[in-house]
Amino acid sequence: MKKVIVASLLAASSLLAHSALMSCFDNGDGTVTCEGGFSDGSSASGTNFFVRQGGNVLITGRMDQHSEFTFKKPEGAFEAVFDAGEGHQVVIQGKDIAQ
Amino acid sequence: MKKKFLGSLVAASVLTTGAMAHFQMLYTPESALEKPTTIELRHVFNHPFADEHTMDVAGIESFVVISKEQQKSLMDTLKPIEFKGNTNSGKGYASTYQARRMGDHVFVVTPTPYFEKNEDAYIQQITKMMVNVAGAPTDWDATLGLKAEIVPLTKPYAIWAGGTFTGIVMSEGKPVPFAEIEVEYLNHDVDLKTNSMGKAHVEAPQDSFVTMGIKANKDGEFTFGIPKAGWWGFVALGVGPDTEYKGKELSQDALIWVQAKEMK
Repeated sequence: MKKVIVASLLAASSLLAHSALMSCFDNGDGTVTCEGGFSDGSSASGTNFFVRQGGNVLITGRMDQHSEFTFKKPEGAFEAVFDAGEGHQVVIQGKDIAQ
Repeated sequence: MKKKFLGSLVAASVLTTGAMAHFQMLYTPESALEKPTTIELRHVFNHPFADEHTMDVAGIESFVVISKEQQKSLMDTLKPIEFKGNTNSGKGYASTYQARRMGDHVFVVTPTPYFEKNEDAYIQQITKMMVNVAGAPTDWDATLGLKAEIVPLTKPYAIWAGGTFTGIVMSEGKPVPFAEIEVEYLNHDVDLKTNSMGKAHVEAPQDSFVTMGIKANKDGEFTFGIPKAGWWGFVALGVGPDTEYKGKELSQDALIWVQAKEMK
């Protein structure tokens, strides 16, 4: 029982210690690819990702097995959001995404 | 008595090589990239601290990048240039690379051995340098199994000035105990437009500070405190298995570049 508690404490501390990361690029064919990750090198596969414009969520999904998500580039200003939970959100503005 | 004699022999050889501290530069201005960026690279063979002589890069045997465990040749990106040092010019190469994927992009260049007339011997410095996109670590700590290699235990692109760099000297993936290592600071700005070296930033109080000689421990590991922001080169001398080229002695060296940042 004691062992279980120690293990869960450790897991919690490692979650807090690393930070969520994301980088996006324009594929030049009307699509954008965003890659998610963590500062400790762990995979972001399965982590929530969405694209929003104003207050609306346009696209939502999860990072694939390569920790990537590719989507059709929306017209106008948008934000790509890597959502790994509270305190672990990374937001990239569409205007900052280049080829 | 015998020990003393050996010791002075070692010292003499250190002095000799110290006077001829050549460094294969694989230069790019910024190793910690915030987002996908197309970067400029320069391949120059010179003395990064004193810049008293620029040698000709004899040629490039291979130039690759490793990212997410995938290796790609960059040989077709190389363009010959004339690089101007503060004393003379030498032949080098320029290339560009699109660092698009998040993570580490590890460059390895293997130049054709350079004939050093003064030593009647060849030098080949297998050189590693890496950039990172957006902070996700992927390949920086990999042992690539190169003939001569310094495997970092510190991310070479994430060092504060005043911090340290730790690496392991390897020969074909095996640690080299007590390897002899030379350390130099890139003491000049590199102008990418004119392919030239700027004026010196700092002055060495004495020759031992120009090329600093250190040694790895019994496990081939070394740590060096980085006193100033900028690029620092570490070269382990003659650790590769090839000892002869065109009938002459060959020093097959392992070189790595690391970049420290001011804490401000």
